[in-house]
Amino acid sequence: MNRSRWRGPLALFAVAMLLMSSCSSRGDDSSDDGGDGGDGGNGDVESSIDIDDCETDPTAEIEGDTIKLVSSYPQSELVGAFAEIARGWAAYFDKVNEEGGVEIAGKSYQIEFEDKDDVYNPQQTASNIEELVGADGSNAFAVFSVVGTANNINVRDFLGELCVPNLFAATGSVAWGNPDYPWLLGSTLAPYTLEAQAFADYLKENQPEAKVAMLVQNDEFGATYEQGFRQAIEGTDIEVVAVEEYPSGADEVSTQVASLAASDADAFFNGATLLACPDALTSKQDEGWEPTTWVSATCISKTLMILAGAAGDGALSFTNLKDPLNPAYADDPAMVAFKETVEQYRTDFKGRALDLENAIILYGYVQAEIFVQALEAAEAPTRLAVMESVHNIDGFTSDLAIDGVSFTTSGGDDPFLGESLRLVQYDAAAGHFSEIGELQDWEGETLSLTPEDLVNA
Amino acid sequence: MNRTTVRVVVGVLVAIAVLYAPYYFEPVWNRELSRAAYFAIAAMGLNLLTGFNGQISIGHGAFFGVGAFTSAILVDTHGWSFEATIPAAAVLAAVVGVLVGIPALRVKGLHLALVTLGLAVLFPRVGQKYIDGAGGVALVRPKRREFDSLLSFLADDQWQYLETVLIAALLFLLAWNLVRSRVGRAMIAVRDQEVAASTVGINVARVKVGTFALSAAYAGIAGALSVMIDRAADATNPLLAFRNSIEFLVAVVIGGTATITGPAVGALILVLLRRHTDGLIEGKEVLSPAIFGAALITMIYVLPEGIVGGLGKLFGRLFPARAAVPATAGAAGPDPSTTTTTPTEEEP
Amino acid sequence: MDLFIRYILIGIGNGAVYAALALALVLIYRTTGLLNLAQGEMALFSAYLSWWFTTHGVPIGLAIAFSILLSMIGGAVIERVLIRPVTAPGKSHLNVLIVMLGMFLAINAISQLLFSTDAEPMPKPWPSVSSPGDPVGRSARLLDIGNTSISWAVGALALTLIGLCLFLYLLLQKTKLGLALRAVASNPASARMVGINTSAMLMVGWALAAGIGALAGSMVAADRGSVSPGLMTVVLVYAFAAAALGGFDSPVGAVVGGMIVAIAESLTIGYVDALSTIELVVPFALILLVLLVRPTGLFGRRVVERV
Repeated sequence: MNRSRWRGPLALFAVAMLLMSSCSSRGDDSSDDGGDGGDGGNGDVESSIDIDDCETDPTAEIEGDTIKLVSSYPQSELVGAFAEIARGWAAYFDKVNEEGGVEIAGKSYQIEFEDKDDVYNPQQTASNIEELVGADGSNAFAVFSVVGTANNINVRDFLGELCVPNLFAATGSVAWGNPDYPWLLGSTLAPYTLEAQAFADYLKENQPEAKVAMLVQNDEFGATYEQGFRQAIEGTDIEVVAVEEYPSGADEVSTQVASLAASDADAFFNGATLLACPDALTSKQDEGWEPTTWVSATCISKTLMILAGAAGDGALSFTNLKDPLNPAYADDPAMVAFKETVEQYRTDFKGRALDLENAIILYGYVQAEIFVQALEAAEAPTRLAVMESVHNIDGFTSDLAIDGVSFTTSGGDDPFLGESLRLVQYDAAAGHFSEIGELQDWEGETLSLTPEDLVNA
Repeated sequence: MNRTTVRVVVGVLVAIAVLYAPYYFEPVWNRELSRAAYFAIAAMGLNLLTGFNGQISIGHGAFFGVGAFTSAILVDTHGWSFEATIPAAAVLAAVVGVLVGIPALRVKGLHLALVTLGLAVLFPRVGQKYIDGAGGVALVRPKRREFDSLLSFLADDQWQYLETVLIAALLFLLAWNLVRSRVGRAMIAVRDQEVAASTVGINVARVKVGTFALSAAYAGIAGALSVMIDRAADATNPLLAFRNSIEFLVAVVIGGTATITGPAVGALILVLLRRHTDGLIEGKEVLSPAIFGAALITMIYVLPEGIVGGLGKLFGRLFPARAAVPATAGAAGPDPSTTTTTPTEEEP
Repeated sequence: MDLFIRYILIGIGNGAVYAALALALVLIYRTTGLLNLAQGEMALFSAYLSWWFTTHGVPIGLAIAFSILLSMIGGAVIERVLIRPVTAPGKSHLNVLIVMLGMFLAINAISQLLFSTDAEPMPKPWPSVSSPGDPVGRSARLLDIGNTSISWAVGALALTLIGLCLFLYLLLQKTKLGLALRAVASNPASARMVGINTSAMLMVGWALAAGIGALAGSMVAADRGSVSPGLMTVVLVYAFAAAALGGFDSPVGAVVGGMIVAIAESLTIGYVDALSTIELVVPFALILLVLLVRPTGLFGRRVVERV
C-alpha cells in the first residue's frame, strides 16, 4: 500500500533528472574546465611547484589591469576584533592603488579586493572562499590573509587543487611548512615553535636551571608551543614541571593558574591568547607568584596587555614588528606614515571604531607591504610567477619592522617569513613593550626546530 | 477545484521546481540549497521529537556533529565510499540519542532542554580533546575526489544537491507516514497527555526513547550529508554545535511546529536569511547578527504558527474540506491537513 | 591544603556570579515559565552601560546604580513590547524562545555598535590597589587565612550575593508587591481574579530580573577586569546549570546551585587531569544525577501531573 504510493514519485524523479539535464539553463562546460594547466609547454619556467595536477592554468596571465584578491575573516559576533588586520591591509592597498597601482613585468595593475565574514567558523570560511574564488578559480587571482589555523586548513585542499595562491595566512601555525601544500604561505608572524625556542634560549642564558610551568590552549596552537618548547630544552637543565590546558574560547583561567603557581615553578610560559592571556597574568599576581614570565606574541596588543595592568609588568615576548604604542616610535617616519595612511583611507571600517595604537592593524599593513614587494618582483602576472616570487623572498624589509628584521623565504625548504625576532619586555607603567637584547635570527631553521609530525599533520 | 486537486497540483509544481533548480542555478546557489536540504532533515528530526512528541532538545547540534564526524572519519581514514557512511552515521547518532533519551524519561521540559544544552556545549570540547585532524586541528576534511558525482552527466554540485534532496524527500516521506501511523498517534498522545496515554496501553518509555533515537538519527544523517556539501566535520568552533541546535529549532518553529513541510520551509528560509543578513549594511558588519535576530522576531510576530501553519489556516479557509480525505503528495508536497488536525500545543 | 582553599575561593567567587545571574533567570521563570535565553546578553549590555558611565566621570558604584535603574526600565519595556505579544496563554512556548534568541543575537551586536567591539577596562566597585599603567587596579586584600589571602573581589562578590538574597527575601516574603509577584507566579488565573494586576506584575518581574542581571554583569566585568562582547556567554551556560540544579523556581536553589556548579568546576580543573578542558562534564553530570532523583531540581516545587 505504502510502497505503491511512493514508487510513482521515484520514477518521476529519475526521469525528471534526465530530462532536466538536457534543458539546463546554466552555462556548464564542466567536463574540461580549464584543466590544461600541466601541458608541459612551459618548460622554460624553472619551478619548485609541481603544476601537473593543477585544475586551472597557473601560467595564465592576468587579463585586464586589476588583480583581484579575496579574503574571509571574522567581522562580527564575539571574534570581530580580528577584522582590524584587514583594516591595515585594505588601507595599504588603497594607498598603492591611488599611487598608480602595482607594477608587474612592466605593466601597472590596480588591486581590487573583496571579503566576507566567516565569524571564525572554518566551514563558513570554506564556503566563502569557494564562492569568492569560484569553483573554477576564475573569480579571483589569489586569496589573502585568511584568519585562523583551522580556517586556512579548511581551504588549503580546494585552493591547492585549483592552484590558487593562499597567501599570508594570518596565524603562526607550523603546518604552513607542509610541502604538500605549496600554494599556501604563512605570514610574518613567527611560527609558534620559534617563540618557544626563543624563550628556551632566553632561559638557557639567564636561568639555566629554570623550572617551567606552561599554560596552553587545548588545540594545535597549544600543542605546538608545548612540544616545541620541550624539544628546545632537550639536553638542558631546564625542566617543565607543570602544564595546564584551557579550552579555546574560555577567558577565565584562574584555577589553572592556581595549580601552576602551586608547582613552585620559577618560569611561566603563558601560551594563552585573547582574554585568557591577561586573565592568566592577573591570576598569577593574585596567587602572589612571581616567576619569569613570557607571553604569547598573540598577546602583544594594547587591548589585552592594558587589562593585565601591573600584573603584566616585566613580561617577555618575541616579535618582529614595531609597537605603535611605543613612544620611541612616535616620530618614526614609517610609523607616522602608517598612521596617516590608515586614517586617510580606512577610518570607517566595518562599523568599528579606529584605534591607531592597535598593533594588529600594523600587522595587516605590513603583510600588504611585503605582498606588494613580492608582486613587483614577480616575473610575470601569473599565479605561478607570484607564487614563485613569494617563495623566493630575499631579505625584504619593512620600515615598520624592528631594525634588522628581514623576511626571507626559500621555496619548500623554508616557507616561513617571520624567523628573525627580537626579545621585548612589557613596561606596565609606560604601557608598552620595548625591545631588549640582540636580534635573534633563525633564518631557514624553523623546520629543523619543529617536531616533524606537527608540520605534516 | 477541490482540496485534493489543489494539493496535488501544488505538490507537482514544487517537485518540478525542486528538481529543476540544480540546472538553473550556479554552483554557489546549489550549494546553499543543498545546505537548506540537509538542514531540513535535521529540523525534521527535531520536529518529530519536539513537535510531535513534546520533548525539547537543544542538543541536536551534537547529534549532527556525531553524524558528521562518523562520515568524515570513515571516508577520510577508512576509505569508505561516502554513501555507505550515511547509515553508519545514522546508527551512531541514534545510539547517542538513546543514551540521552533514557534519562529524558525522568527529566522533562526545560530541564531536558538544559541537559541537552550541556551536550551541545560539550560536544566541541570533547571533539577538540580527542580528534586530531588535518594540520593538528579538530577538523576532518576528506579529499574532494571522494565525493565525485556518480552520474557523469551531472556536475558535482548538481549531483550532490540531488542526492541530498532525494534523501531529504525520502526521510520526509518516512516522517509523514510515521506520524499518521499507529506509532505516530502514540507519539502525539504521549505529547498531549502522557498519563492518559499510558492508561490506554501505550508504552510511554518505548515511544519516547524510540522517538529520541529516530530524531537523533535524522540529525546524524544531516550531519553526514553536511560533510558532502561542506566537506568537513568541525569541532574547532566552540559554539558551532550550540548554534546549530538553536538554528534547527528556529527552522522548526518558523516553518511550522508539528507540520510535515514546516521544517523544510523553515530551513530554506533560515539559510536564505542567514545569507542575506550577512554584511547587509555595508560598513556596519557588526550589526549582521542584529538584523538576523530582528528578522526572526518579526517572523514570529507575523506568522506565530509558522509559515506552513499560517498558510495552512489560510488554505483551510479558501478550500473548506468536505471530508477528511487523505491526500497524496509529491516528493516535497505540502500536507497542510496535518497542521489543522494536530494543533501546535506544547503545554498541557 | 592551601591549594584546596584557593580552589574553593575561586569557586566561591565564580559561584557568586553564576548564582546572581541564575537568580535573574529564576525570577523570569517564576512569572513566565521560561528561561530567558537573552539574560546573559542583557546583562552584557548593562555592564557596558556601567562602563560607559565610568568613562564619563561617574564613579563606578554610582555607574552601576544608574545602569541597574536603566536596565530595569529596559527589562520592563522588553517584556511589554517584545515578549508580551507572543506569550498569550495557549500559545507555544517555542515562539517565545525564538524571540529570546533574536534578542540574544541583536543585543550583543547592538552593544558592540553602541559601546565597543573590544574588551574595555572595568573599574572595581571595591577597594583596589592601583599602580602606574594600571587603569583599573587590582583587588585589595580583604583578610588572610593561614597562608591564603582572600581578596576583596571574592569578598565583594559574596557580599553582593548575600545582599541580593536578603533583598529578594524581604521583597518576596514581606511586601505586598512580593505577595502579588508570588501569586502571579503560582497561579496567574486566580491572581487575576483576586484583583492583582498580572500585567504589571509581569513587567515588574522582568524589571527585577534585568536589574539583577545588570548587577551580576557589572560585577563579573569588574572581577575579570574588563567588559567584552563575549563576557557572559560562558557565564550564562553555568547560570543555566545552576538554575537547573537548584530548581528553576527557587531562588535558594539558584544560589546553592551556583555555588555547587562553580566549586565543582574549579575542583575538577584542579584535581582531575583526565577531564582537563572538558570540566563542564561535571556540572552537567551533577544536574543529570540530581534530576534523576528529584525531577524538579534540589529546591524546585513539585508539580502534580493531572490527566
